Amino acid sequence: MKLGESVARVSLDHPRMIAGIMVVLCVVIGSTALLPSVLPDTFPMLHGVKVDTDPENMLSKEEAVRVFHNDMKEVFALNDIVVLGVVNETDPQGVFNPASLRKIYDLTEFALTLRGEAIGEVDPQAGVIRADVIAPSTVDNIEQGGPGVVRFEWLMPEAPATDAEALAVRDKARRIPFLDGTLLSESGQALCLYLPLTSKDLSYRVYSELREKIAGLGGEERFFITGLPVANDTFGHEMFVQMAISAPTAMFVIFLLMLLFFRKLVLIVSPLLIALAAVICTMGLLVATGNTIHIMSSMIPIFIMPIAVLDSIHILSEFFDRYQQTRDRRKTMVGVMESLFAPMLYTSLTSAAGFASLALTPIPPVQTFGIFVALGIMLAWLFTITFIPAYIMFIPERRLENFGMADTSVVETAQDKSLVGRFLHLMGYFTFHHAKAVIAVSVLVLVVAFVGMSRIRINDNPTNWFKYDHPIRVADRVLNEHFGGTYMAYLVLRAPGETGAIAPSDGDAVSEGVPETPALPSGMGGDEAPALPAGLGGDEAPALPAGLGGDDGPALPAGLGGDGPAMEAEVSVAAPEAEATFKNPEVLRYMRRLQEHLLTTGVVGKSNSLADIVKTVHRELIDGSEANFRIPDSSAAVAQCLMQYQSSHRPGDLWHMVTPNYRQTSLWVQLRSGDNLDMTHVVSSVEAFFAENPPPVPLEHEWFGLSYINVVWQQKMVAGMLQAFLGSFLVVLLMMIILFRSALWGLLSMIPLTLTIALIYGVVGLVGKDYDMPVAVLSSLTLGLAVDFAIHFLARTRALYAEHGSWDACHDHVFGEPARAITRNVVVIAVGFTPLLLAPLLPYVTVGIFLASILLVSGLATLLILPSLVRLLEPLLFPKTAACSMLCQFGTTFVASVTAIALLAVNVHPFIALSWTTLGAICTALTVVAALVAWALARRASCRNEL
Amino acid sequence: MKKVLLTGLLTVALTAGVGAFAQAAPSVEEIVTKANHMSYYQGPDGRAKVTMTVKDKQGRSRTKAFTILRMNTDDQDKTQRFYVYFHEPSDERGTVFMVHKHVDKDDDRWLYLPALDLVKQIAASDERTSFVGSDFFYEDVSGRGLDEDSHELIETTANAYVLKNTPKDRGAVEFDSYTMYIDKNFFIPYEVRFEKGGVVYRIAKVLAVKDTTGSDGTVYKTVTKSQMVDVESGGSTTLDYSDVQYGVGLTEDIFTERYLRKPPQEFLK
Repeated sequence: MKLGESVARVSLDHPRMIAGIMVVLCVVIGSTALLPSVLPDTFPMLHGVKVDTDPENMLSKEEAVRVFHNDMKEVFALNDIVVLGVVNETDPQGVFNPASLRKIYDLTEFALTLRGEAIGEVDPQAGVIRADVIAPSTVDNIEQGGPGVVRFEWLMPEAPATDAEALAVRDKARRIPFLDGTLLSESGQALCLYLPLTSKDLSYRVYSELREKIAGLGGEERFFITGLPVANDTFGHEMFVQMAISAPTAMFVIFLLMLLFFRKLVLIVSPLLIALAAVICTMGLLVATGNTIHIMSSMIPIFIMPIAVLDSIHILSEFFDRYQQTRDRRKTMVGVMESLFAPMLYTSLTSAAGFASLALTPIPPVQTFGIFVALGIMLAWLFTITFIPAYIMFIPERRLENFGMADTSVVETAQDKSLVGRFLHLMGYFTFHHAKAVIAVSVLVLVVAFVGMSRIRINDNPTNWFKYDHPIRVADRVLNEHFGGTYMAYLVLRAPGETGAIAPSDGDAVSEGVPETPALPSGMGGDEAPALPAGLGGDEAPALPAGLGGDDGPALPAGLGGDGPAMEAEVSVAAPEAEATFKNPEVLRYMRRLQEHLLTTGVVGKSNSLADIVKTVHRELIDGSEANFRIPDSSAAVAQCLMQYQSSHRPGDLWHMVTPNYRQTSLWVQLRSGDNLDMTHVVSSVEAFFAENPPPVPLEHEWFGLSYINVVWQQKMVAGMLQAFLGSFLVVLLMMIILFRSALWGLLSMIPLTLTIALIYGVVGLVGKDYDMPVAVLSSLTLGLAVDFAIHFLARTRALYAEHGSWDACHDHVFGEPARAITRNVVVIAVGFTPLLLAPLLPYVTVGIFLASILLVSGLATLLILPSLVRLLEPLLFPKTAACSMLCQFGTTFVASVTAIALLAVNVHPFIALSWTTLGAICTALTVVAALVAWALARRASCRNEL
Repeated sequence: MKKVLLTGLLTVALTAGVGAFAQAAPSVEEIVTKANHMSYYQGPDGRAKVTMTVKDKQGRSRTKAFTILRMNTDDQDKTQRFYVYFHEPSDERGTVFMVHKHVDKDDDRWLYLPALDLVKQIAASDERTSFVGSDFFYEDVSGRGLDEDSHELIETTANAYVLKNTPKDRGAVEFDSYTMYIDKNFFIPYEVRFEKGGVVYRIAKVLAVKDTTGSDGTVYKTVTKSQMVDVESGGSTTLDYSDVQYGVGLTEDIFTERYLRKPPQEFLK
C-alpha cells in the first residue's frame, strides 16, 4: 500500500509540522466558534453557540404541518404556556381551603407581574400575557343571581376567608366545563395555573422567578411547574450538563482502559488528543456554520469519540505487538501503516457513509447530525494517520524500551497466555471445528431477531426523554393523574374554502389616523401628551401641527381645533357575510358528538370547544338548570349567548376557540399522555368518526399542536431512517466489493453488521422498548461500527491467507493480533461509554446502552461468524480454478452494478416524482444490461488469465 | 362614602390652589364636573347611531351597529337612563341592553335576548367588563362615578388640563390610575390613559368632535368618533357616532322592561 507508506513517511519525517498543523486547525476552528459565543458584540460577523431545544425544529420551518401549526397559533391567538400545578393531598378539602387558596391567589398576583422589567425585558409587554392567564382570580364565573337575574363576576375576586367560601369557589368552577378538569382537578386536590407567555424564550426567567416565590411559601401544598417551554429549557440545560460531564467522563474511562491495555501513558494520550481534536474541529465547524446545538447535534461528540479512538487503537495495538520485533519505531510504524492504511480508510469511509446517509432523512436536526458526524469521522481519520506516526516520533526510543509484547514469537505461534489471548485462541479453534454449528446458531438468532423486529412499537414521547424521577417527569405524572391531561392537541374544523392563515392585513374602512398597531405613548406622564382630536378648539384655537401636539399635550381632535383627518367616516358596509358555520346549532351539536367520541378513545381526558361555551352560557342565561345545559335551537340564539359570553372580563377567550367570522373553530383536546402512539390513535379515531358520521354541513378538519407535530415528525423519521439505512447499507456494500474486489467478500463483510442490527432491533421489539428517535439514529452508528471489525478481520485474513496458503494454517494467526485489536476496541468503547448511563436525559442513556451492545454483538459476530463462514466457503473465497475464478469475476461485477443501481434508485427516489413501480421497472432493465456487460467483461482473456 | 368624598374634595381644593397660582386655572372639581357633563350629560336627552368596529391584533375586524338612547333623570348630572338597541350583526338584531344609572347605589342593568325571548336582569357587580366583546368597558360607555376616584391636576398644557385619577377602592378596579387630557376650551376629555404597574396598557381617544344643534337650538360639542386601544392585546375598538340628536323627547317609560320586548321604533330608525 504505497499511499499508506508515504503518508507515514511524511508524518515520521515532519512530526513537528504535523502536530503544528493539527493544533493550529483546532485553535482556528475552535476560536471562530468560541469567540462570537463569549463576545458576541465583538464578532458580529461570526456565528456563536445557539441552543435549540424546540421539538418543533424536528421539522423544517417550511414543513406544511408546522406552517399550519404556526398559522393556527396566530389565528387563535394561542401562546406557549407555563403550567403551575398546586396539589394538596392532606387537607380534606384539597386545595380548596383558605390557606391554599391564599397562596394560589398570591402566586397568581405575582405571576401577573412577571413581565417587562421584572424578568429583565425592555418591552413592558413581554412576559406573562395577563389577559389570558387562567387562575381562579383571573377567570370569570357566570351564574344565577336570584330569580331572573344573571351574574357575571370573577370566579375568586379575592382569597376566601372561610372553608365554606373556599368550597364555593370549587363548586362554581365545577359547573363550568372549560374549567373543570383544566383549572381544577376532579378530586379538588389539585389546581393548575396557566401562564401564557409572549415568547417561549422567556420561560426560563418566569420559571426561576416562580420557583423562588414558591420556595418562600411553605405549607402542605406541593408545587409543580411544567409546560412545554419549561421542559424545553430544562432539556437545554441538561443537555449541556451532559456534554460537560458525561462526555469527558467517557473520555477518562477510555483513557484508563487503554492504560490497562498498553501500560504506556505517553502513548495512549495520542488517541485522546485525536478524539479531542476531532471533536473540537467538528463542533467548531458546526457552530461556525450557524447550526444550532440541538438534542441531536449535542450527541455528536459522543459519537465521534469512540470512532476517533478506534483507528488509533488499531494502530497502537499493532504497534504494541510488533515493536519488539524491530525495536525501531520508524520501521515498525511504516509496517503498521502499510497493513492498516486500507482497512482504516475503508472503515472510516463506511462509518462516514453510514452517517452521511442521514442527510437523506427529512428531519433537519438529524441531517445536520449525520453530516457533521461523517465530517468528524473523516477528520479523525486524517488526524489518526498523520498524527499518530508523528506522535510516536516525539517519544524517545528509550521510553519505549519495555513497551509491547516482549516475546514476539509468542504472538506468531499464537501461544499468548493472557486471558484474552487464550479466549481468542479458543474461539479460533471452535469456529474452525464447529463452523456449521456457529452458522446454525446464527441463523436461529436471526430468526428470533426478525420475530422481535416485527413486534417493534414505534413511539416517542419527548417528556420521557427525562428520567423517571426528574422533576419534569414527576410534575407530568402528578398533574396527569389529577387532570384531564396536560398534553394539548387542537383539531381545527372549518368551512370549506376558509383559508387557514390570516390574510395580510386587510384595509380598514374606518382606520384613518388609527395606527395599525396601537403605539404606546412614550413617557406616560404629561411630558409628551396626546394631540387634540379633530373637532376640538374651533376657530379660536391656534392651528396645531398636523397630528402632533409637541410638548403641548396630545393633538386636538378634528372639531376641537386640530386639523384632524376629514370626518364623515361612513359606516363601513361589510362585504356580504359568509355563513357563520359555527353559530349553526346543528354543527355545534355535531361537535359535541365528536367530543363524546374522543372520550371513548381512552387517551383523551377532556376536550373543550365552542359548543361547551354555548351550552354553559345558555344554561346560566335561562335558569341554571341542567335541562338547559344544551345548544339553543337557532343560530341567532347561539350568537346572542356568545355576545353575553364576551361581555365579561375576558372577551378575548372566545377567539381562542373560534375565528371572528365563525368559519373556523379549534377543538382543544387534552391527552393524558405524550406518547405519539396515543396521539396517532386519536387521529385515526377522529378519521373514523368523520367517515361514519358525516357532518351536517361540509367541514374540513386538520390537526395542530405539538402532540400532533410530534407524530408527524416521527412518521417522517421512521420512513426517512429506513431509507437512509437502506442507502447506507448499499453504499457500504459497494465499498466493500470495491475494497475486496469481490462480491462474495463484500457480502461476507456485511454479515456481522446485518446480524448485529437485526439482533439489536429484535431485542428492542422483544423487550418492548419503544422505537424512538435515539433508537432510530443508532442504526447508522451500528452500520458504521459493526462493519469496521469485519473489514479489519477480513483484510487481515486475506493477507495472512496469502502468507500461509490455507485457512487451516492461518486461522490461529488471525485470532492473534487482529482479533486482539478487535477485542480491545470492543472493551474500550463498550466500557468507556458506561458513564452515559449517568446522564440525566434518557436519550443519552439509550445511546450508552446501545453502544455497548452494538460493540459487543458485532465484535462477537465478527469473531464467530466470519471465521466459520471463511472455513465453509474457503474454496469460493480463495478460488483455485479458472472457472471458479471467472464466475467470481462475473458475480462481483454483476453484484456491484446491481448494488449501484439499487443505491441510485434509493437515493434518487425522494427527489424525483417517480413511483416505486416505474423506478423498479427501470432498475430491472438496467440490471439486465449490467448482467450482460458483466458477463462480457468476465469472459475477457485478461480476466481469465489472471489466475 | 361621605368621608371619602370629603377627603377627595380636600385634595381637589389643595391641588386646585396650586394650579391657580400657575395659570389661574379652574379648580379640579370644576374641571372634573365639566368634563363629566361634556362626556355623558349634554342636553336633556339624546340619541345616536353607533357603528362599533372591533379590530384585533391580527387585523381582523368585525362590526356591530346599535342605537343609544339616553335620558337624564335629574339636573344634577347624576341619574340617567340608557337604552342600547342592536341592529347589526343580523343575528344580534333586537338585542337590548338597558341601564338605570344611579350615583348612590349600583346601577340596574337589564338584558333582552330576542332569539331566546329572554329578559334578564344583570346582577350588580363590577362594571369593568367588556361592552359586548369590545375593548370598551360598560363603565366607559355609561360613565364612571366622579367620587370613585381622587383627582389631581398634574399639569396644564397649551391644550389641556392633565388630571391624574386614582381609585379610592383599588381592589374594585384593575388599574392603578388613569390620566385624562381634558380640552381647555370645552372640557372634553380627549385622551385617557390607564396605567398599571407603571405601564400604560389602555388608551381611550377622541378622534373627532363636531358641533351638533339640539332641537332647542343649542349647539353641543359632540364626540363623533372615539377609540379604545388595548395595548396588551393589541386590539382596538372604534366607535363612529352618526345621526346624533339632542332633545328628542324621550320619556321614562321607554326605559322599562316592557320596552325591552317592544322597542320604541320611532327612536331607533
